[in-house]
Amino acid sequence: MKLISLLDHLAAAPADQSAAPRRAVLRQVGSAALAALPLGLGASLPAAADTKDTSYDAVTQLLLLERLQRALYTRALAAPGLIPLTQLADFQRLRLHQDQHVAFLTEALQAAGAIVPTEPAFDFSGRRGVVTNPVLFPNVLSNFDDFLALAQQLEDLGVRLYKTQAFNITNDSQLLKAVLRIHAVEAQHSAHVRSLRRGRGVAVKNWPSDTDAAIVRPAAAQVLTTAATGGEENPIQNLKAGMPIPFANFLLIRDNTAVRDSALSEAFDEPLTTTVAQAALNLFV
Amino acid sequence: MSDTSRSVVSDSPPLAQPLYAPIKRRSFFMYAGATAGATALALVGCSKESDPVVTDGPTSLGAGDVGVLNYAYALEQLEAAFYAKVKASTVAGFTADETAYFADISDHEAIHRDFLKAAISRDFSGRLLPELTFNFDTIDFTKRVKAASDTKLGVLDAAKAFEDLGVAAYNGAGKLLKVPAYLVIAGQIVSVEARHVAYIRNLLVPGSFAADDQVEPASGLDKTLSPTEVIAIAQAFVVQQLDASSVGQ
Repeated sequence: MKLISLLDHLAAAPADQSAAPRRAVLRQVGSAALAALPLGLGASLPAAADTKDTSYDAVTQLLLLERLQRALYTRALAAPGLIPLTQLADFQRLRLHQDQHVAFLTEALQAAGAIVPTEPAFDFSGRRGVVTNPVLFPNVLSNFDDFLALAQQLEDLGVRLYKTQAFNITNDSQLLKAVLRIHAVEAQHSAHVRSLRRGRGVAVKNWPSDTDAAIVRPAAAQVLTTAATGGEENPIQNLKAGMPIPFANFLLIRDNTAVRDSALSEAFDEPLTTTVAQAALNLFV
Repeated sequence: MSDTSRSVVSDSPPLAQPLYAPIKRRSFFMYAGATAGATALALVGCSKESDPVVTDGPTSLGAGDVGVLNYAYALEQLEAAFYAKVKASTVAGFTADETAYFADISDHEAIHRDFLKAAISRDFSGRLLPELTFNFDTIDFTKRVKAASDTKLGVLDAAKAFEDLGVAAYNGAGKLLKVPAYLVIAGQIVSVEARHVAYIRNLLVPGSFAADDQVEPASGLDKTLSPTEVIAIAQAFVVQQLDASSVGQ
């Protein structure tokens, strides 16, 4: 198949390994190897390090995400009248899972002898704790629809971030397996929140689709949308810039039914870069 | 397979392949492409028992990464065949919304199946699991949900069973993959399967997404099953006898 030789040819191109030396050491973090390292490696890595591509970075970034989600559900459950009675149990379950994930990731860091970052004070308005800053996410804790929209984006972000970070902890089989299991839970959360929104009249599927109604955000909050679903709508996967995969030839659809472009984009959730994820998470810190 | 040595791609190239940061910022097809190149670098002789070969005995899914990919391919074949049959059936009581969503899911599973087929064919030439044939006699494709008096499963009951099984299978198989690029591809597929699970569970019992029989109540971790456990369950619907004992080994 012509496509295959294209892919092979592409793969033969030399990879940029400029970041490799640092990774070669740090990706051991998260395993027992950490205890043997001189100096407190955790201390040498600021929480907002530029790259998030080591296993220590991976676990701390996932911990930040889980803490953020736990805080959102905790405050939403505490906000009088925000969540309809019929959905209280759903969000109690979501909160419980996030709480368990926080505990798990905290334990993983502790077991590795790494420093557990302090939980930041989260601000779901997007003002980052400064009252004079513009509100980026209005009514999150007073309007159920606004709350659901944010919950969906954070869950979608979570699905994508776990996908990315699983890649960074492949050196630790047990941690990897647990992270993959959390990943699947996040996807179920997202699908449910999307169901709830659809039940309230929003055009949205249980999986990111190009037919989903856009969640409109101010420009300063756009990075959240990018992190949650940016790129999901695109049915075209590029071999490299300007060279799309010829899906029509590539896929051997045999059921005598045309497959929609939107199905092609829906069928695969996408990972995202840790940098974009961090920028989105920082909107609430 | 004979003992004569021949060059094939390795099941498990060393992790030190230059696959990491530069590549994972690109699309998933990039990973697949990079992997093909990386694996081609490590030429080794193929082991006797690692190929899926149809013989009189059970069909082995293979060992190493190709075994894991064939395992996923077998499950996607099963799901795709099931949903294609749902799509072709008139299910009593299906709403227009449900009919449309099941058509969506049918598309997703067919795409997963064909994607895996193409990926295995490209990276592990000659070691693709054959197309399987299925027996869905225990499912009544005209029924939405099984009634207490029914002996056959309804469409939603069967869909829940298949999706639960698929997600638990991917959850358990991810760590068996040696090439990180395949891990990302599996992750891109499994989260869509997990979305299917939540959707179908909520149709059966509203609010039963991520319930305690899917997500372990004590840990908040999703259910996981080993390849042999999964194939033992799936075998009831597959005409060919499958052997998953060497998957990922």
